[in-house]
Amino acid sequence: MKIQTQRQPGEVSPWAVFSWLLMAITAYGLLPWTALEYGLGDFTAEEWGDALGWQHARPTLVLPILLTVLTPFAWIRLSGKISGWLWAVVSGLAIGALFVGFTITGTSMGLGAGTIIMSLAALLAIGAAEIGFQRGDTFIAGAVIFVVFMVAVFIFFPVWEIFRNVLVDKTGAFEPFQFFRIITSFGVGRVIGNTLVLAFTVGLATTLFGLVFALYAVRATTRIRYLIRVFYILPIITPPFVVGMSLILIFGRAGMVNDGLMFLLGPAGLLTPEGSPGLFERSGYIYGFLGIFLAQTLSLTPISYMVISGMLASINPAMEEASLTMRASRWGTLMNVTLPLIRPGIANAFLLGMISSAADFGNPLVLGGEYDVLSTEIYFSIAGAQLDFARAAALGIILLLLSLSIFYIQKKWIGKKSYVTVTGVETAGNVTPLPRGLQRGLTVFIVVWFLLVGLLYFSIFLGGFVKQWGADYTLTLSHHLELWSKGLGSGAWPSFLHSLSYALLAAPLTTLVGVLIAYILTRRKFIGRGIIDFGTVLIFAIPGTVIGVAYILAFNTAPIELTGTAVILIITMAIRAMPVGIRGGMSALSQISTNLEEASLLQRAGSLRTIRSVLLPLLKSTIVSSMAYSFIRAMTTVSAVIFLATAGTDVATTYILSRVESGDTGVAVAYGSVLIFTMLVFTLLVQFFLGRARTDKQVKTQ
Amino acid sequence: MSDPSIKIVLKNVSKHFGKVRALDAVDITFAPGTLTTLLGPSGCGKTTLLRLVSGLEPASSGEIWFGDDNVTQLSATRRDVGMVFQSYALFPHMTVAQNVGYGLRVVKTPPDEIRRRVHEVLEMVAMDGFQRRYPDELSGGQQQRVAVARAMVLRPKVLLFDEPLSNIDSKLRRSMRDDIRRLQQASGITSIYVTHDQAEALAVSDEIIIMRSGAIEQQGPPQALYHRPETTFVANFIGESNVVDAELKGAGEDRQIVFGEAVVDVTADMPLTNRTGPVKLSLRPEVLEIKPMGDSASSQDLRGVVVQRAYMGPVIEYSIKTTVGELFTRVPAYAVQFTENDEIRVHIRPEDIIIIPENDRDHV
Repeated sequence: MKIQTQRQPGEVSPWAVFSWLLMAITAYGLLPWTALEYGLGDFTAEEWGDALGWQHARPTLVLPILLTVLTPFAWIRLSGKISGWLWAVVSGLAIGALFVGFTITGTSMGLGAGTIIMSLAALLAIGAAEIGFQRGDTFIAGAVIFVVFMVAVFIFFPVWEIFRNVLVDKTGAFEPFQFFRIITSFGVGRVIGNTLVLAFTVGLATTLFGLVFALYAVRATTRIRYLIRVFYILPIITPPFVVGMSLILIFGRAGMVNDGLMFLLGPAGLLTPEGSPGLFERSGYIYGFLGIFLAQTLSLTPISYMVISGMLASINPAMEEASLTMRASRWGTLMNVTLPLIRPGIANAFLLGMISSAADFGNPLVLGGEYDVLSTEIYFSIAGAQLDFARAAALGIILLLLSLSIFYIQKKWIGKKSYVTVTGVETAGNVTPLPRGLQRGLTVFIVVWFLLVGLLYFSIFLGGFVKQWGADYTLTLSHHLELWSKGLGSGAWPSFLHSLSYALLAAPLTTLVGVLIAYILTRRKFIGRGIIDFGTVLIFAIPGTVIGVAYILAFNTAPIELTGTAVILIITMAIRAMPVGIRGGMSALSQISTNLEEASLLQRAGSLRTIRSVLLPLLKSTIVSSMAYSFIRAMTTVSAVIFLATAGTDVATTYILSRVESGDTGVAVAYGSVLIFTMLVFTLLVQFFLGRARTDKQVKTQ
Repeated sequence: MSDPSIKIVLKNVSKHFGKVRALDAVDITFAPGTLTTLLGPSGCGKTTLLRLVSGLEPASSGEIWFGDDNVTQLSATRRDVGMVFQSYALFPHMTVAQNVGYGLRVVKTPPDEIRRRVHEVLEMVAMDGFQRRYPDELSGGQQQRVAVARAMVLRPKVLLFDEPLSNIDSKLRRSMRDDIRRLQQASGITSIYVTHDQAEALAVSDEIIIMRSGAIEQQGPPQALYHRPETTFVANFIGESNVVDAELKGAGEDRQIVFGEAVVDVTADMPLTNRTGPVKLSLRPEVLEIKPMGDSASSQDLRGVVVQRAYMGPVIEYSIKTTVGELFTRVPAYAVQFTENDEIRVHIRPEDIIIIPENDRDHV
């Protein structure tokens, strides 16, 4: 075996360079340079022809000519690193020139231009690797450039657009004080106050209840505790506004509780004294703070449960046993040892609850009434005829900053304060059970909670089968028939198929990028890594409504015009689900020793081969579960897509919300229950297969 | 097959991580076919040095040569290096045969030859027959043997061992150590071996390099390092040592070492500077003889009192308070025994006295 000393590190075969050049030149010749009027789904040959680069504008011919002139340099080796610099500088400048050109002329990029930029980015990666970026590892250099590019275009650029829209007025003139004018205008202070009060109380409530569930699941000795372990699946598979809808069914003006009370105490009620006008009137108490609070507490408690129970389960039992041997009671041990130990988990759950409550859009939308919060207010600034983008952007900035600052506190302050020590030493000892009285009290509480949740889900299910909730409880199939039996072109099918196909495309995309980001963040050090790091923070912290506004502002005009297309919905779903992939990838990669990859490199395998033969097989279950949960999130997301879905691209959640708005509650809950049921079956299937894959030891890699 | 042994040369190699200097302008030559141990406390730069040779970490400056090839710019994939990791780093999703044959598959060897060579190399490490097992079905020692087989299967120019025995229990360590030594000698591959265990280093190496704070403290064969340490750090790190202050007196033929009340004539084979004045001596615990006070005294003796006594089976360890400080000794259990507070004499033969030529370097 001879060491190939002649080859520069990072040098690729001339054919690789040539194929990217050829791809760019071909794309210039055959694919539309500018965006087609009606998108790629609907065009005529003539439109296609007109959109070609040389037809559109002669000066663009510079590009293919330049690339043709460069082609021989795929084979001609320039001394030292000059070849690398040549490719990196030329393609970097060309990409920059393309963006500037499209922006200045106000033209939208077409498929051709997009393909050319991709080819140029690949050449940039080849050149950068040859200069020595990523130690000459072309594949990794390409991956890093790809990720930076994605984060820049789909995170930084839209967020920047929000800020820009606040700083300019409707005519485009610079107006530095517009932001302050908007946030000091009438009503905005109240909206911010409402959001904060709601977030704070929901944070407190979810933390308290999450703690109760966690203590119970980890420490109780009853059998219901096994039920808790499945209950956290519910909010994952339930579209966020469905809990709100079910609360309306139970507690709404025409809901069961009002009906019951009317029946007993209304004007002609059973218990109403003869001649009295009635002791009770129908009440809309559920619309407003109380309703949103209840809905969010019900749907967010499982998140807080997961955070706290994770930390509770990792406490070394010996510490509690030590406390018991020092004559402390179980109560004393719980209060003085256990709870202080999980304090970081509790704080974490509280902050997560606050972020999730502030970001929640679905529940305030259906239950809000007079109680307006930031997320809905952003939507109503744009929805309908308002179209006040500056106001939406200003409110979006406030919500984003709120979310970012809570996230920052969580990351910097609590992230480092963990008392849980992972030593790898087997910890002996038994967990200390709960004090008896406490356990009894909690059992009652949890049974009541489960009954309530069961009632809510049952009402959703039942609501789809009765004629008119609150007025006519005759059983009927008409809602479901209207949705599912009128052919694939109408009813629920178009939106359902959209959801399904977009989510099926978004899930692998988001998993790929998410795991790639996780890989880069855990394994690679380079200048500019901070960009990806900060982009990741934004991905985690940015609320859906803010993404929605940002995308409308960023992708409604040249150079990247995507609104109204399926592409923007797929990308939105991918961004919304990306935390799943990143988090899963990070935790899996942190458990895989880098020595494995190094051992593979030393066996002459390149980084691509190493990833394929060593990392991917070990990440298989992470990738599968991340894809599954990304898929579910994509199917159930509403906050961001509601801004971007159009008549031609509506998805399941936006369709349901539109039926809620037009008063077709029966149809809406019928659709909602089918969606929940589908997701439930899907989740169970995935868990079943994942569970099997883990016990299946015969992994074949060849 | 041509002679596989090559020389490895590091020229002025430095490595820093941010502001931390892990290696500071190191020059080393590893002779062809030898096994050289890098020995030092944790954080001394020995693992960094190994990783620079492997190519897994790029050098900040300097050059690395394998024979006549400058490999400084080559990535790990192209350096032709085999490495055994402390954590074994066997691929958990591959069988033993797949693990060992991985590199052969990467370089596109025909399946028949892969099978033959995997069999051959597994036989060398006495693991033939385990081909179909997964790593988690093997004991730690077996995993380590597979890791060695995998590192050798591509017949690399250089073999690197990163604390290969530190995860193996002490009884097995000795036989694994001997196996590694035997395989290395049979193959003739120039090898670098990192450890922090000085006994392991003494047993396995042709050469030992003692490292400290990113620089080389001393390089030489095991015996030289043990008997002629150049610094107190080396004296303390290789074996155990009582380092005492002494003074060189006189001139010409008439030179003497004085420490405490002991006066010893300088003999010709001592590595002596012509210096006079204060020096440091290294007295190995096993060369100190303990005699009862009543025995005939000599000017080469130190008086002392037994402070502590520990029975260790074949030997007994004493701590003795003397005028030059507390001395630690180890004497065979069959010798005359003493108890705490006994007044005794410590006898040192002149040829056992090690003069440390250099005062300790200043370290940051």
